[in-house]
Amino acid sequence: MGPLLNIRFLCLTHKDLKLILADGSGIVQPVLLGLILVFVFSLSTPIGDEVSAQAAASVFWLATCFALVLVFNTLYSIEETNQARTGLLLSPMPLQHVWLSKAVTGLILLLLAQFFFFPAIIVFLGQELMTGWWTFLGTVLLVDWGLVAVGSLLGALSQGHAARESLLSVVIFPLLVPLLLAGIRMGAHFFGGADDGHLSAWAGIAFAFGSVFTGAAIILFPFVYNEY
Amino acid sequence: MRDSQLINTGIPALAVLGGLALAAAQYFIWIYAPVEATMGVLQKIFYFHLPLAWWGLISFFMVFCASLLFLITRRSVMDRLAQAAAETGLLFSGLALATGSLWAKAAWNTWWTWDPRLSTTLIMWFIYAGYLVLRQSIDNPQKMRALSAVLGIVAFLNVPLVFLSARMWRSIHPAVFGSGGGGLEPEMMTAVMVSIAAWGLLTAAILLFRVRQLHIKDRIKTLYVF
Repeated sequence: MGPLLNIRFLCLTHKDLKLILADGSGIVQPVLLGLILVFVFSLSTPIGDEVSAQAAASVFWLATCFALVLVFNTLYSIEETNQARTGLLLSPMPLQHVWLSKAVTGLILLLLAQFFFFPAIIVFLGQELMTGWWTFLGTVLLVDWGLVAVGSLLGALSQGHAARESLLSVVIFPLLVPLLLAGIRMGAHFFGGADDGHLSAWAGIAFAFGSVFTGAAIILFPFVYNEY
Repeated sequence: MRDSQLINTGIPALAVLGGLALAAAQYFIWIYAPVEATMGVLQKIFYFHLPLAWWGLISFFMVFCASLLFLITRRSVMDRLAQAAAETGLLFSGLALATGSLWAKAAWNTWWTWDPRLSTTLIMWFIYAGYLVLRQSIDNPQKMRALSAVLGIVAFLNVPLVFLSARMWRSIHPAVFGSGGGGLEPEMMTAVMVSIAAWGLLTAAILLFRVRQLHIKDRIKTLYVF
Protein backbone atom coordinates (compact mmCIF):
# COMPACT_ATOMS: atom_id res chain seq x y z
CA MET A 1 0.00 0.00 0.00
CA GLY A 2 2.84 2.34 0.93
CA PRO A 3 4.69 2.23 -2.43
CA LEU A 4 1.39 2.56 -4.31
CA LEU A 5 0.58 5.74 -2.41
CA ASN A 6 4.08 7.05 -3.06
CA ILE A 7 3.64 6.49 -6.80
CA ARG A 8 0.37 8.44 -6.73
CA PHE A 9 1.93 11.38 -4.99
CA LEU A 10 4.91 11.33 -7.37
CA CYS A 11 2.49 11.33 -10.31
CA LEU A 12 1.17 14.69 -9.15
CA THR A 13 4.69 16.05 -8.68
CA HIS A 14 5.63 14.80 -12.15
CA LYS A 15 2.53 16.38 -13.69
CA ASP A 16 3.15 19.75 -12.00
CA LEU A 17 6.82 19.82 -12.96
CA LYS A 18 5.99 18.99 -16.58
CA LEU A 19 3.37 21.75 -16.74
CA ILE A 20 5.58 24.38 -15.11
CA LEU A 21 8.79 23.56 -16.94
CA ALA A 22 7.00 23.20 -20.30
CA ASP A 23 6.65 26.97 -20.79
CA GLY A 24 9.06 27.98 -18.03
CA SER A 25 7.00 30.97 -16.85
CA GLY A 26 6.29 29.39 -13.46
CA ILE A 27 10.01 29.33 -12.62
CA VAL A 28 11.32 32.26 -14.68
CA GLN A 29 9.19 34.82 -12.78
CA PRO A 30 10.41 33.89 -9.27
CA VAL A 31 14.03 33.67 -10.46
CA LEU A 32 13.86 37.06 -12.17
CA LEU A 33 12.14 38.71 -9.19
CA GLY A 34 14.80 37.35 -6.82
CA LEU A 35 17.68 38.42 -9.06
CA ILE A 36 16.22 41.94 -9.38
CA LEU A 37 15.88 42.10 -5.60
CA VAL A 38 19.54 41.11 -5.09
CA PHE A 39 20.70 43.60 -7.73
CA VAL A 40 18.62 46.49 -6.34
CA PHE A 41 19.88 45.78 -2.83
CA SER A 42 23.48 45.93 -4.11
CA LEU A 43 22.77 49.59 -5.00
CA SER A 44 22.03 50.40 -1.36
CA THR A 45 25.71 50.41 -0.37
CA PRO A 46 28.16 53.10 -1.54
CA ILE A 47 30.84 51.98 -4.04
CA GLY A 48 33.74 50.39 -2.19
CA ASP A 49 31.74 49.57 0.94
CA GLU A 50 31.22 45.95 1.94
CA VAL A 51 27.80 44.38 2.47
CA SER A 52 27.71 42.54 5.80
CA ALA A 53 27.25 38.76 5.76
CA GLN A 54 24.00 39.14 7.74
CA ALA A 55 22.58 41.63 5.23
CA ALA A 56 23.53 39.33 2.35
CA ALA A 57 21.86 36.36 4.08
CA SER A 58 18.75 38.50 4.68
CA VAL A 59 18.52 39.37 0.98
CA PHE A 60 19.00 35.71 0.03
CA TRP A 61 16.10 34.57 2.23
CA LEU A 62 13.92 37.53 1.26
CA ALA A 63 14.35 36.64 -2.42
CA THR A 64 13.51 33.03 -1.49
CA CYS A 65 10.32 34.14 0.29
CA PHE A 66 9.09 36.11 -2.72
CA ALA A 67 9.89 33.11 -4.90
CA LEU A 68 7.94 30.90 -2.47
CA VAL A 69 4.79 33.01 -2.82
CA LEU A 70 4.99 32.99 -6.64
CA VAL A 71 5.81 29.27 -6.84
CA PHE A 72 2.91 28.12 -4.65
CA ASN A 73 0.43 30.47 -6.26
CA THR A 74 1.41 28.99 -9.62
CA LEU A 75 1.23 25.41 -8.31
CA TYR A 76 -2.31 25.78 -6.98
CA SER A 77 -3.62 28.07 -9.74
CA ILE A 78 -2.77 25.33 -12.29
CA GLU A 79 -5.54 23.25 -10.73
CA GLU A 80 -7.98 26.18 -10.65
CA THR A 81 -7.51 27.28 -14.26
CA ASN A 82 -7.86 23.72 -15.57
CA GLN A 83 -10.69 22.99 -13.11
CA ALA A 84 -8.71 19.97 -11.98
CA ARG A 85 -9.36 20.74 -8.31
CA THR A 86 -12.58 18.71 -8.35
CA GLY A 87 -10.69 15.82 -9.96
CA LEU A 88 -8.11 15.89 -7.20
CA LEU A 89 -10.82 15.99 -4.53
CA LEU A 90 -12.58 13.00 -6.11
CA SER A 91 -9.41 10.92 -6.52
CA PRO A 92 -9.08 7.99 -4.08
CA MET A 93 -5.84 9.23 -2.54
CA PRO A 94 -5.74 11.04 0.83
CA LEU A 95 -5.88 14.83 0.47
CA GLN A 96 -2.61 15.06 2.39
CA HIS A 97 -0.91 13.63 -0.71
CA VAL A 98 -1.91 16.75 -2.63
CA TRP A 99 -0.18 18.82 0.08
CA LEU A 100 2.89 16.53 -0.03
CA SER A 101 3.17 16.56 -3.80
CA LYS A 102 2.82 20.35 -3.98
CA ALA A 103 5.42 20.67 -1.19
CA VAL A 104 7.91 18.43 -3.04
CA THR A 105 7.33 20.26 -6.35
CA GLY A 106 7.67 23.58 -4.52
CA LEU A 107 10.93 22.43 -2.93
CA ILE A 108 12.39 21.45 -6.30
CA LEU A 109 11.39 24.79 -7.85
CA LEU A 110 12.63 26.74 -4.84
CA LEU A 111 16.01 24.98 -4.95
CA LEU A 112 16.18 25.77 -8.67
CA ALA A 113 15.53 29.45 -7.93
CA GLN A 114 18.11 29.46 -5.11
CA PHE A 115 20.63 27.93 -7.54
CA PHE A 116 20.48 31.31 -9.34
CA PHE A 117 20.19 33.50 -6.22
CA PHE A 118 23.35 32.12 -4.63
CA PRO A 119 25.83 33.20 -7.36
CA ALA A 120 23.99 36.56 -7.57
CA ILE A 121 24.66 37.10 -3.85
CA ILE A 122 28.33 36.19 -4.36
CA VAL A 123 28.71 38.51 -7.36
CA PHE A 124 26.53 41.53 -6.54
CA LEU A 125 26.96 41.59 -2.75
CA GLY A 126 30.64 40.57 -2.68
CA GLN A 127 30.25 37.48 -0.47
CA GLU A 128 32.12 34.21 -0.35
CA LEU A 129 31.23 30.84 1.15
CA MET A 130 33.38 30.33 4.26
CA THR A 131 32.32 26.76 5.07
CA GLY A 132 31.82 23.46 3.26
CA TRP A 133 29.25 23.06 0.51
CA TRP A 134 27.50 20.13 2.17
CA THR A 135 26.85 22.00 5.42
CA PHE A 136 25.50 24.95 3.45
CA LEU A 137 23.26 22.72 1.33
CA GLY A 138 22.01 20.91 4.43
CA THR A 139 21.08 24.21 6.07
CA VAL A 140 19.30 25.48 2.95
CA LEU A 141 17.32 22.21 2.80
CA LEU A 142 16.43 22.46 6.50
CA VAL A 143 15.05 26.01 6.13
CA ASP A 144 13.40 25.19 2.78
CA TRP A 145 11.55 22.29 4.46
CA GLY A 146 9.76 24.74 6.79
CA LEU A 147 9.12 27.17 3.93
CA VAL A 148 7.47 24.62 1.66
CA ALA A 149 5.47 23.06 4.53
CA VAL A 150 3.81 26.43 5.18
CA GLY A 151 3.73 27.41 1.49
CA SER A 152 1.94 24.22 0.47
CA LEU A 153 -0.58 24.51 3.32
CA LEU A 154 -1.45 28.15 2.80
CA GLY A 155 -0.90 28.34 -0.97
CA ALA A 156 -4.31 26.75 -1.50
CA LEU A 157 -5.87 29.27 0.86
CA SER A 158 -5.62 32.30 -1.38
CA GLN A 159 -6.91 30.66 -4.58
CA GLY A 160 -9.98 32.12 -6.27
CA HIS A 161 -9.16 35.78 -5.50
CA ALA A 162 -8.04 38.51 -7.85
CA ALA A 163 -5.27 39.65 -5.48
CA ARG A 164 -4.09 36.17 -4.45
CA GLU A 165 -0.35 37.00 -4.50
CA SER A 166 -0.75 39.96 -2.14
CA LEU A 167 -3.17 38.03 0.10
CA LEU A 168 -0.76 35.10 0.41
CA SER A 169 2.16 37.47 1.13
CA VAL A 170 0.23 39.23 3.91
CA VAL A 171 -0.71 35.91 5.51
CA ILE A 172 2.51 33.97 5.03
CA PHE A 173 5.34 36.47 5.64
CA PRO A 174 4.70 37.12 9.38
CA LEU A 175 4.35 33.36 9.98
CA LEU A 176 7.79 32.75 8.50
CA VAL A 177 9.64 35.19 10.79
CA PRO A 178 11.20 32.61 13.19
CA LEU A 179 12.37 30.50 10.27
CA LEU A 180 13.77 33.53 8.46
CA LEU A 181 15.67 34.63 11.57
CA ALA A 182 17.18 31.14 11.79
CA GLY A 183 18.03 31.18 8.07
CA ILE A 184 19.60 34.64 8.30
CA ARG A 185 21.75 33.78 11.33
CA MET A 186 22.94 30.51 9.79
CA GLY A 187 23.46 32.20 6.42
CA ALA A 188 25.53 34.94 8.09
CA HIS A 189 27.73 32.19 9.52
CA PHE A 190 28.23 30.61 6.10
CA PHE A 191 28.98 33.91 4.36
CA GLY A 192 30.97 35.65 7.08
CA GLY A 193 32.46 32.71 8.96
CA ALA A 194 31.45 34.24 12.32
CA ASP A 195 29.87 31.88 14.86
CA ASP A 196 27.67 33.49 17.54
CA GLY A 197 27.64 30.22 19.51
CA HIS A 198 23.98 29.57 18.76
CA LEU A 199 24.32 27.85 15.40
CA SER A 200 22.94 24.50 16.59
CA ALA A 201 20.13 26.30 18.46
CA TRP A 202 19.15 28.14 15.26
CA ALA A 203 19.19 24.81 13.42
CA GLY A 204 16.91 23.52 16.21
CA ILE A 205 14.48 26.41 15.62
CA ALA A 206 14.40 25.64 11.88
CA PHE A 207 13.88 21.92 12.60
CA ALA A 208 11.10 22.64 15.13
CA PHE A 209 9.41 24.99 12.65
CA GLY A 210 9.50 22.35 9.90
CA SER A 211 8.19 19.65 12.26
CA VAL A 212 5.37 21.78 13.76
CA PHE A 213 4.09 22.99 10.40
CA THR A 214 4.42 19.58 8.74
CA GLY A 215 2.32 18.09 11.55
CA ALA A 216 -0.19 20.95 11.38
CA ALA A 217 -0.44 20.66 7.58
CA ILE A 218 -1.12 16.90 7.72
CA ILE A 219 -4.05 17.52 10.08
CA LEU A 220 -5.37 20.80 8.66
CA PHE A 221 -4.87 20.53 4.88
CA PRO A 222 -8.19 18.68 4.27
CA PHE A 223 -9.98 21.73 5.74
CA VAL A 224 -8.12 24.10 3.41
CA TYR A 225 -8.35 22.07 0.19
CA ASN A 226 -11.99 21.16 0.02
CA GLU A 227 -15.15 21.91 -1.92
CA TYR A 228 -17.19 24.67 -0.27
CA MET B 1 -30.31 29.82 21.78
CA ARG B 2 -28.66 28.99 25.11
CA ASP B 3 -25.52 30.75 23.85
CA SER B 4 -27.53 33.91 23.08
CA GLN B 5 -29.16 33.96 26.54
CA LEU B 6 -25.82 33.49 28.23
CA ILE B 7 -24.29 36.30 26.15
CA ASN B 8 -27.21 38.69 26.71
CA THR B 9 -27.09 38.33 30.50
CA GLY B 10 -23.29 38.27 30.63
CA ILE B 11 -22.66 41.53 28.78
CA PRO B 12 -24.30 44.02 31.21
CA ALA B 13 -22.93 42.22 34.28
CA LEU B 14 -19.36 42.12 32.96
CA ALA B 15 -19.52 45.68 31.61
CA VAL B 16 -20.67 47.11 34.98
CA LEU B 17 -18.12 45.04 36.92
CA GLY B 18 -15.38 46.00 34.46
CA GLY B 19 -16.24 49.71 34.72
CA LEU B 20 -16.20 49.63 38.52
CA ALA B 21 -12.96 47.64 38.59
CA LEU B 22 -11.30 50.07 36.17
CA ALA B 23 -12.36 53.00 38.36
CA ALA B 24 -10.91 51.21 41.41
CA ALA B 25 -7.72 50.50 39.43
CA GLN B 26 -7.25 54.28 38.90
CA TYR B 27 -7.07 54.72 42.69
CA PHE B 28 -4.41 52.00 42.95
CA ILE B 29 -2.44 53.41 40.01
CA TRP B 30 -2.44 57.13 40.85
CA ILE B 31 -2.74 57.20 44.67
CA TYR B 32 -1.85 53.85 46.25
CA ALA B 33 1.23 52.91 44.16
CA PRO B 34 4.32 55.11 44.79
CA VAL B 35 5.84 57.28 42.05
CA GLU B 36 8.91 55.53 40.62
CA ALA B 37 12.17 57.32 41.54
CA THR B 38 13.90 57.36 38.12
CA MET B 39 11.09 57.64 35.57
CA GLY B 40 8.64 59.58 37.70
CA VAL B 41 4.97 59.73 36.71
CA LEU B 42 5.75 58.31 33.23
CA GLN B 43 6.21 54.90 34.85
CA LYS B 44 2.40 54.80 35.35
CA ILE B 45 2.12 53.85 31.64
CA PHE B 46 3.22 50.43 32.83
CA TYR B 47 -0.16 49.84 34.59
CA PHE B 48 -1.91 50.17 31.23
CA HIS B 49 0.78 48.59 29.06
CA LEU B 50 1.06 45.29 30.93
CA PRO B 51 -2.69 44.43 31.16
CA LEU B 52 -3.17 45.38 27.50
CA ALA B 53 -0.27 43.16 26.45
CA TRP B 54 -1.48 40.24 28.58
CA TRP B 55 -5.10 40.39 27.50
CA GLY B 56 -4.02 40.91 23.90
CA LEU B 57 -2.05 37.67 24.01
CA ILE B 58 -4.86 35.85 25.85
CA SER B 59 -7.28 37.03 23.13
CA PHE B 60 -4.97 35.50 20.51
CA PHE B 61 -4.98 32.27 22.49
CA MET B 62 -8.79 32.42 22.44
CA VAL B 63 -8.68 32.67 18.64
CA PHE B 64 -6.73 29.41 18.66
CA CYS B 65 -9.18 27.66 21.04
CA ALA B 66 -12.29 28.95 19.26
CA SER B 67 -10.86 28.00 15.83
CA LEU B 68 -10.06 24.49 17.05
CA LEU B 69 -13.56 24.12 18.51
CA PHE B 70 -15.10 25.46 15.31
CA LEU B 71 -13.35 22.84 13.17
CA ILE B 72 -14.48 20.09 15.58
CA THR B 73 -18.07 21.19 16.28
CA ARG B 74 -18.84 23.52 13.30
CA ARG B 75 -20.78 25.79 15.66
CA SER B 76 -20.94 29.29 14.18
CA VAL B 77 -20.67 30.91 17.63
CA MET B 78 -17.09 29.62 17.80
CA ASP B 79 -16.26 31.33 14.53
CA ARG B 80 -17.76 34.58 15.81
CA LEU B 81 -15.80 34.24 19.05
CA ALA B 82 -12.60 33.71 17.04
CA GLN B 83 -13.25 36.87 15.02
CA ALA B 84 -14.15 38.90 18.11
CA ALA B 85 -11.04 37.68 19.94
CA ALA B 86 -8.81 38.46 16.94
CA GLU B 87 -10.18 42.02 16.72
CA THR B 88 -9.84 42.58 20.48
CA GLY B 89 -6.34 41.07 20.50
CA LEU B 90 -5.31 43.27 17.59
CA LEU B 91 -6.61 46.41 19.33
CA PHE B 92 -5.05 45.58 22.70
CA SER B 93 -1.69 44.47 21.33
CA GLY B 94 -1.60 47.61 19.15
CA LEU B 95 -2.21 49.77 22.24
CA ALA B 96 0.39 47.74 24.18
CA LEU B 97 2.93 48.41 21.42
CA ALA B 98 2.11 52.14 21.41
CA THR B 99 2.36 52.48 25.21
CA GLY B 100 5.50 50.30 25.20
CA SER B 101 7.04 52.59 22.61
CA LEU B 102 6.36 55.64 24.82
CA TRP B 103 7.96 53.80 27.73
CA ALA B 104 10.96 52.80 25.62
CA LYS B 105 11.59 56.40 24.56
CA ALA B 106 11.61 57.54 28.18
CA ALA B 107 13.52 54.59 29.64
CA TRP B 108 15.91 53.52 26.87
CA ASN B 109 15.91 56.67 24.69
CA THR B 110 14.59 54.77 21.67
CA TRP B 111 11.10 54.33 20.21
CA TRP B 112 11.74 50.73 19.22
CA THR B 113 14.22 48.01 20.05
CA TRP B 114 14.57 44.37 19.03
CA ASP B 115 13.25 42.60 22.10
CA PRO B 116 11.54 39.18 22.35
CA ARG B 117 8.33 40.47 23.92
CA LEU B 118 8.09 43.55 21.68
CA SER B 119 8.97 41.62 18.55
CA THR B 120 6.65 38.72 19.39
CA THR B 121 3.78 41.16 19.98
CA LEU B 122 4.47 42.98 16.71
CA ILE B 123 4.74 39.76 14.71
CA MET B 124 1.50 38.47 16.27
CA TRP B 125 -0.11 41.81 15.41
CA PHE B 126 0.88 41.32 11.75
CA ILE B 127 -0.31 37.69 11.73
CA TYR B 128 -3.75 38.52 13.14
CA ALA B 129 -4.07 41.57 10.89
CA GLY B 130 -3.52 39.10 8.03
CA TYR B 131 -6.13 36.82 9.62
CA LEU B 132 -8.73 39.62 9.52
CA VAL B 133 -7.75 40.57 5.95
CA LEU B 134 -8.29 36.93 4.96
CA ARG B 135 -11.75 36.91 6.56
CA GLN B 136 -12.73 39.98 4.52
CA SER B 137 -11.31 38.63 1.25
CA ILE B 138 -13.41 35.46 0.97
CA ASP B 139 -17.05 35.83 -0.14
CA ASN B 140 -18.19 32.25 0.54
CA PRO B 141 -18.98 32.26 4.31
CA GLN B 142 -18.49 28.50 4.75
CA LYS B 143 -15.10 28.60 3.08
CA MET B 144 -14.12 31.77 4.95
CA ARG B 145 -14.92 30.20 8.33
CA ALA B 146 -12.96 27.01 7.64
CA LEU B 147 -9.89 28.79 6.22
CA SER B 148 -9.90 31.37 9.02
CA ALA B 149 -10.04 28.57 11.59
CA VAL B 150 -7.01 26.90 10.00
CA LEU B 151 -5.08 30.17 10.05
CA GLY B 152 -6.22 30.84 13.63
CA ILE B 153 -4.70 27.52 14.72
CA VAL B 154 -1.50 27.81 12.70
CA ALA B 155 -0.92 31.39 13.88
CA PHE B 156 -0.85 30.45 17.56
CA LEU B 157 1.34 27.38 17.01
CA ASN B 158 3.95 29.87 15.84
CA VAL B 159 4.04 31.90 19.09
CA PRO B 160 6.65 29.82 21.01
CA LEU B 161 8.94 29.74 17.98
CA VAL B 162 8.60 33.48 17.41
CA PHE B 163 9.38 34.18 21.07
CA LEU B 164 12.35 31.80 21.20
CA SER B 165 13.88 33.10 17.98
CA ALA B 166 13.38 36.73 19.01
CA ARG B 167 15.00 36.02 22.41
CA MET B 168 17.98 34.41 20.74
CA TRP B 169 18.37 37.47 18.51
CA ARG B 170 18.81 39.82 21.52
CA SER B 171 16.90 41.27 24.51
CA ILE B 172 16.87 44.28 26.90
CA HIS B 173 13.24 44.14 28.15
CA PRO B 174 12.82 44.03 31.97
CA ALA B 175 11.36 40.84 33.52
CA VAL B 176 8.33 42.03 35.52
CA PHE B 177 7.43 38.63 36.95
CA GLY B 178 10.93 37.18 37.29
CA SER B 179 12.00 34.54 39.84
CA GLY B 180 12.88 37.27 42.36
CA GLY B 181 9.65 39.22 41.82
CA GLY B 182 11.16 41.33 39.02
CA GLY B 183 12.11 44.23 41.35
CA LEU B 184 8.59 45.70 41.74
CA GLU B 185 7.51 47.28 45.05
CA PRO B 186 4.62 45.39 46.74
CA GLU B 187 2.28 48.41 46.26
CA MET B 188 3.16 48.54 42.57
CA MET B 189 2.55 44.81 42.25
CA THR B 190 -0.91 45.22 43.86
CA ALA B 191 -1.75 48.04 41.43
CA VAL B 192 -0.63 45.84 38.50
CA MET B 193 -2.75 42.90 39.65
CA VAL B 194 -5.85 45.13 40.14
CA SER B 195 -5.32 46.63 36.66
CA ILE B 196 -4.98 43.17 35.08
CA ALA B 197 -8.20 41.98 36.75
CA ALA B 198 -10.10 45.15 35.71
CA TRP B 199 -8.95 44.90 32.10
CA GLY B 200 -9.86 41.19 32.14
CA LEU B 201 -13.48 41.97 33.01
CA LEU B 202 -13.59 44.68 30.35
CA THR B 203 -12.07 42.30 27.77
CA ALA B 204 -14.74 39.67 28.53
CA ALA B 205 -17.49 42.30 28.14
CA ILE B 206 -16.07 43.58 24.84
CA LEU B 207 -15.71 40.03 23.48
CA LEU B 208 -19.28 39.03 24.31
CA PHE B 209 -20.63 42.33 22.97
CA ARG B 210 -18.79 41.81 19.67
CA VAL B 211 -19.96 38.17 19.43
CA ARG B 212 -23.56 39.34 19.82
CA GLN B 213 -23.01 42.10 17.25
CA LEU B 214 -21.64 39.56 14.74
CA HIS B 215 -24.58 37.25 15.43
CA ILE B 216 -27.06 40.08 14.70
CA LYS B 217 -25.11 40.99 11.55
CA ASP B 218 -25.43 37.40 10.28
CA ARG B 219 -29.16 37.40 11.05
CA ILE B 220 -29.66 40.64 9.09
CA LYS B 221 -27.77 39.16 6.13
CA THR B 222 -30.01 36.09 6.16
CA LEU B 223 -33.14 38.24 6.40
CA TYR B 224 -31.97 40.23 3.39
CA VAL B 225 -31.35 37.13 1.26
CA PHE B 226 -34.74 35.58 1.87
